Amino acid sequence: MIESTLFTIVFVLYILAALFYLAVAFSRNDRWAKPGLGLAFAGLVLHSAALLVRTFESGHAPFTNMYESLSFLSWAMVLAFVLIDRKFRIPRIGPYLMLIVVGLVALASSPLMPKEATPLVPALQSYWLWLHVSVTLLGEAFFAVALITSILYLTADSDEKKEKMDSVSYRCVAVGFPLFTLGGLVFGMVWAYKAWGTYWSWDPKEVWSLITWLVFALYLHTRIVMGWKGKRSAIIAIVGFLAALFTYFGVNYLLSGLHSYA
Amino acid sequence: MRSLWKFFSSVKLAIVLLILLAAASVIGTLIPQGEPPAAYAARYGQLAGLLSGLQLTGLYHSGWYLALLFFFAVNTIVCTLARLPAKCRRAFKPMIGTETAGLLALKVKGRLGKNAPAEEVRMRLEATLKAHRYRVRSQAAEKRLCLLAQKKKLGHFGSDAVHLGLLVIIAGGIVSGLAGFRTHLDLSEGQTVKVPRAPFEIRLDRFETEYYPQGMVKAWKSTVTVIENGASVLTKPILVNKPLTHRGFSFYQTGYGSNWDNPKLEVTVKKKNDPSFARTVQLGVGERAAVDDKDVSQISVKRFVPDFVIGEGSQVETRSQEPNNPAAQVEGWKGPEKVFSGWIFANYPDFEQMHSGQPTDLSFVLKSYSGSEYSVLEAARDPGVWLIWVGCLLVSAGFFLAFYWPPREIRAVLEEGRDRTEVTAGGVAAKSRESFQAEFEAIIDSLRRS
Repeated sequence: MIESTLFTIVFVLYILAALFYLAVAFSRNDRWAKPGLGLAFAGLVLHSAALLVRTFESGHAPFTNMYESLSFLSWAMVLAFVLIDRKFRIPRIGPYLMLIVVGLVALASSPLMPKEATPLVPALQSYWLWLHVSVTLLGEAFFAVALITSILYLTADSDEKKEKMDSVSYRCVAVGFPLFTLGGLVFGMVWAYKAWGTYWSWDPKEVWSLITWLVFALYLHTRIVMGWKGKRSAIIAIVGFLAALFTYFGVNYLLSGLHSYA
Repeated sequence: MRSLWKFFSSVKLAIVLLILLAAASVIGTLIPQGEPPAAYAARYGQLAGLLSGLQLTGLYHSGWYLALLFFFAVNTIVCTLARLPAKCRRAFKPMIGTETAGLLALKVKGRLGKNAPAEEVRMRLEATLKAHRYRVRSQAAEKRLCLLAQKKKLGHFGSDAVHLGLLVIIAGGIVSGLAGFRTHLDLSEGQTVKVPRAPFEIRLDRFETEYYPQGMVKAWKSTVTVIENGASVLTKPILVNKPLTHRGFSFYQTGYGSNWDNPKLEVTVKKKNDPSFARTVQLGVGERAAVDDKDVSQISVKRFVPDFVIGEGSQVETRSQEPNNPAAQVEGWKGPEKVFSGWIFANYPDFEQMHSGQPTDLSFVLKSYSGSEYSVLEAARDPGVWLIWVGCLLVSAGFFLAFYWPPREIRAVLEEGRDRTEVTAGGVAAKSRESFQAEFEAIIDSLRRS
């Protein structure tokens, strides 16, 4: 009950933040970015509280079904945004990011997603659930920021903006890729070995995280060794995000496999 | 040989292989893997032959996918080795001598003069650099002193650690594939089985399913005893996510099933012209139970199937081991005389078409049935798994070094003139150049002020 009230307030805060950032985008004036960031930050704090309440009420990690996992992913995206904006002062990604976050929260709130906290099925009763899912989703949140900066790179009109977007994209991948590797692949393998006795089963979700990994490996090699930058890097980062999105979302609904929970 | 080396040391090859591996992996998730040929024929029709010919139905174990992985491994080895000597030289046996012109061409650079002999300036600069955790080497030439300061040298080897880790993981995969072993064990309570290839047996003492108050399954728990040479050595519960490991063999709770070989049944006898009459007896397959009625003295069960179906040749078969359509073949006796014989269905209590024998007033109902639950354990021995964990550690450490341990290098030339020493310094950092610039300036500043 407390959690759903908090979640509704968070939703409203995120919508307001998105509106302020849209004002930034349309007026091309960064003046509105500050209240936007403030609202996003307030949302983040309350969202953290909502996740904590959920954890205490359900007695398990707050990402065991699609509703919880969407809520956690949107939380991670706002966190990634706040951190990146603090470091690089890049309010232009705000409108896009906050719109995606509002979309995710709306999806989580929609009647499509069952919200009641159900007890954990035996397969999920492990502390690896915490490590595997949270670190992976955090990595994917940084991929989402890299997606936005990559798109903004492609649509930017000045070289100065392009350079900034390119560099922030790279920094996001430099954070997201190690997190994704550690959480998705390494922790995933450890957990799979503990639960099923095999660290790799070529399950579609596993294969798609491998594909995502290969795409970002391609990003790094073309960029660092071959000196690709800018447009081609941006396109690879976008493809990488789409692969990550499919791993997270598409596999569950379009392909069948061992990861039948969320 | 040389051209082969050159071929494999190319980063372009690595890029082509990354793309090919990704594309092949995508295909493998779109086509269901490892199903029986009939399933592909039904789904893809004429294309099925082509799919299996190209090994797309077992793609991840196919020769060509493994060949791609092999090329990828060789490419990784050669690329890493080709670049390693230069990196080692740079990190461990660097050239200390340098020219001022080269330093002034760097982005991060500085120049200053000090009214002190070169040797004294060197000591001050070295102390400052050491305070910033640099390792300093110096070399004196005629009227010139060269300084080289380095830190976070391991950062040069981040990508090498990742590459080595990947190779170790691939090696682990090969070991697992060749020497690993896994099998299902179906165990009923009290049953002892010899674990294949292991010098011990295991016995299932108890198998319990725990439920949440809401009715969902909370845990499957198999209490197992390991028996070596007839003696019990340990007893431990196995749960999902909590395997038992003994002598390199691990046992995982992977499922459960019901055994219908010897079910417990309840059959009710009714009479059509006497609705108040109902007698329920409990019995197993092949058993007789007394009813003690004037019309029917005993009931026996000849056979039970959990999922009744009429198969080929009008034979009764079971479609599966799931209790989808449980049926029992029962016989009713009046003394030595068979008064009823036929199949009765738990899901269709009024279905009496199959009844044979004399027309009778009696009616039989299969009131309940229960098989014995058995536990499905996965027994596995994987001698490759430690390589996987070593590889994962190397990859993780490599990522950390590559992204968050950027090596820094500062070079300086001290030229002694008449009671004055000219210092020219320049620096190179692989990453986070802004913070390096700040550090560099702080170092030059503190030298200036000293």
